[in-house]
Amino acid sequence: MIKANNLTKKFIKQKNKREKEEFYADKGITFEAHDGEIIGILGPNGAGKTTLLRMIAGILEPTEGTIEFDGLNYKNNEIEIKKNIAYLSGNTKLYDTLTAYELLKMCAQIYGIDNQKTEKRIKEITDILDMQNFLNNKIGNLSTGQTQRVNIARCLVHDPKYYILDEATTGLDIISSQIILDFIKKEKARGKTILYSTHYMEEAENICDRVIMINKGVVINSGTPSKIKEDTNTTNLRDAFFQMIGGKTNEE
Amino acid sequence: MKSNLWNILKKELRELFRDKKSLSMMLIIPVFIPLIMLGMSALFEAQTEKDTSEYNKIGFAYSLSKEEKSIAKQMDIKVVEGNEKELKEKYKNGEINLYVTKKANQYTLNIDSSDNSVYAKSLTEQYFNTYKSYLQQTYLTQNNIDAGSVLNIITIKEKSIEEDNYFADFIKNYAFLFVIMAITVSATYPATDTTAGEKERGTLETLLTFPIKSKDIILGKFLSVTLSSIITGVISFILAIISLVIAKGAFSIYEGLDIMFSPFTVVMAFIIIIVYSFFISGLCISIASTSKTFKEAQSALTPLTFVSLFPGMIAFMISVGATPLLSIVPFLNYSLIFTDINAGNVNWLNIALMIISSFVYIAIVLYYIIKQYKSEKILFSK
Repeated sequence: MIKANNLTKKFIKQKNKREKEEFYADKGITFEAHDGEIIGILGPNGAGKTTLLRMIAGILEPTEGTIEFDGLNYKNNEIEIKKNIAYLSGNTKLYDTLTAYELLKMCAQIYGIDNQKTEKRIKEITDILDMQNFLNNKIGNLSTGQTQRVNIARCLVHDPKYYILDEATTGLDIISSQIILDFIKKEKARGKTILYSTHYMEEAENICDRVIMINKGVVINSGTPSKIKEDTNTTNLRDAFFQMIGGKTNEE
Repeated sequence: MKSNLWNILKKELRELFRDKKSLSMMLIIPVFIPLIMLGMSALFEAQTEKDTSEYNKIGFAYSLSKEEKSIAKQMDIKVVEGNEKELKEKYKNGEINLYVTKKANQYTLNIDSSDNSVYAKSLTEQYFNTYKSYLQQTYLTQNNIDAGSVLNIITIKEKSIEEDNYFADFIKNYAFLFVIMAITVSATYPATDTTAGEKERGTLETLLTFPIKSKDIILGKFLSVTLSSIITGVISFILAIISLVIAKGAFSIYEGLDIMFSPFTVVMAFIIIIVYSFFISGLCISIASTSKTFKEAQSALTPLTFVSLFPGMIAFMISVGATPLLSIVPFLNYSLIFTDINAGNVNWLNIALMIISSFVYIAIVLYYIIKQYKSEKILFSK
């Protein structure tokens, strides 16, 4: 179980040459994600979704608040936690000079998987994601869709317990997006916990068990998609979101 | 879980050896060493063996006797006679290289500090010595004195000994200084690519999500850059030795001189190359890590090339030797220790101080970068 308690991230940005300005990317975010659950993190661009997921993935340190994975925290168990998570964003970049096979092997070695198991695992993943045709091609020569499949494969190598997916379908064509959505559903069925951020409300409505709606760094609503629609008396999450924010987003 | 240092090192080396720019920096930079060394030798030779026709046009502001003309002819001096004003004009126009004025028995050589004037002065001095000797011989003979026993009362002989040979020491010490510079230049690219480059390409964020200690990430990167620097250093030094062999056969200034490194010097040179590679790689990685972009890192590292060259160059010029204090001064210590070893002055205390201080500096910079990599600032500093 992932337990986020009062997660807050404050940044200091240069307002002008002399002045600095503090702003909160996320403020007091609290939630729990149980085994086998897909939690959607929804909100417009600049709402604080990426910062939240980066804190959960251990890339950013929260200014306040705590994160626990089955009772373990980053301060004392960073390596142990990272062994059990896979982080994938729409912007996750891979090493262009390595082949897909070399990258997967490197990842497996980093996670301490022995050679025999690694070969078996790579074969399984290659079959699942239909990667045979480009497994030995350099990543720099692959298309965007193929690269994102390698990215998913990299996440699967160590069979993690938690997936942190940040706008993983952004910029992908319909086939590549579907591959990712299918992969998420399969992993949920296997009891994995998935945090999935997106600004595509319809996509979230289809796959998420619960959603957390964020705007300007604060949670504005959370619950199952049907409960949120019921609360706001709307027929879809998009309308529900607009009703809650009164038509104004962070970017405005 | 076992340390991931080896996995990171493998990844870094794979990237390094597959990247054409990194490879070319590692392998092409050493090729400049023979070019620089042979070019320098050619320049020395051109300076020492100037063709006489470039500086033998000498003006005389008085009429030369038959004997004086004969001596000038024997010494291949082109005599230009005229009054002082005419000769001054000709000197200004470059028609003559020097002009001589005379008042009673006092001769004045009028020159400036240009190369040709300096050579012309030397030629004219030889001419006057010969003429003076002729006058002395004539005077003594006329007075029935044995000129030979007076003029040759002492004889002077010149013998070139190795320690005093300017060119041999110069070319050997500079060869090593160029190797140090080649290592510096070649370390900057992979250090930039593996830190600021990785940050800019977005792969560092991916790397930081893996269960790897920041210590392993930094040490893996550091060792890959060090290995690349050592390869450049070793190739450069081998090419420097080959250049010396070629230079000895091709240039007369090295005739009869020992311009080869002794086997002990070669071994010590390789040790210094390895120590310096560790030092410069650590320094380059620490500087490049704090940069946000590849370009910014390259700008920050460029001055290192000059810093690696100038202290050693200045030390050669003013003939500074290694002392315990100078042995811990980064950059300067490597060239000073090498110069001493090359001259046969092996001081183990200075060598030990150089090695120990280098590794202390490396430990400090690595500690600093490991701390940086533990902080989110490495990815998101603005």
